[in-house]
Amino acid sequence: MVYIDSWDEFVERSVQLFRADPHSSRYVMKYRHCDGKLVLKVTDNRVCLKFKTDQAQDAKKMEKLNNIFFTLMVRGPDADISEASGKEQNEQPPAKKGRGRRQ
Amino acid sequence: MSGTGSRSVLQPDPFLNELTSMFECSTEKGSVWVTFKRSSMKSKAARNKMQSAGQSIEYRCLVRATDSKKTISTSLSAKDYQKFQASYATVLKAHMNSLKKRERKDRKKTAEPEKKQVSSKSESSKKQAAPTSKSS
Repeated sequence: MVYIDSWDEFVERSVQLFRADPHSSRYVMKYRHCDGKLVLKVTDNRVCLKFKTDQAQDAKKMEKLNNIFFTLMVRGPDADISEASGKEQNEQPPAKKGRGRRQ
Repeated sequence: MSGTGSRSVLQPDPFLNELTSMFECSTEKGSVWVTFKRSSMKSKAARNKMQSAGQSIEYRCLVRATDSKKTISTSLSAKDYQKFQASYATVLKAHMNSLKKRERKDRKKTAEPEKKQVSSKSESSKKQAAPTSKSS
């Protein structure tokens, strides 16, 4: 059992884990209102990835992960999840930001 | 998870209603678990049969929820999962509110309504912002 600190890392590794074994993997959310705690887990019964938080902003992030898993589990491990994960794919343009051709 | 308590298989909307009451009944103590799993909803034997017969197997997203007293489940197909997804998000947003909110700026939320302090000098200050569309 590994608690991952970085949200993005948790998401990336969870998706990878699921894609590697879509039949065995499951995504679990546990919420305790009395403690104000949220724990997420993705496991294939061998590897176990976990993320815990008490922050409301993480619940917002979790919504995207929920959507990712809905898509993957219904449509399959090869499904395109770019929409579910939000179009925040900031592809940094290779060009320099400054306008100036330096040759 | 222990097998005590009832287990019911529900349609998506009744599932969401039951999930809502699970949240409502576990505010002072206890937890609510929700699990997602990809499933063909068929036994391994049935799947093998279908595969050897060359039949395509439809997969669904199985969603289970429990509060340790009872367990409910539903399954979603490609046709109805997006609708469920939206409703599910609404349920979570409405009930998962004991998490800490981070106040970035000290925004004093006073009871005053937004008073637009219109100064006597009603200047129509048109900021001449020249539309600089730098086109290369």
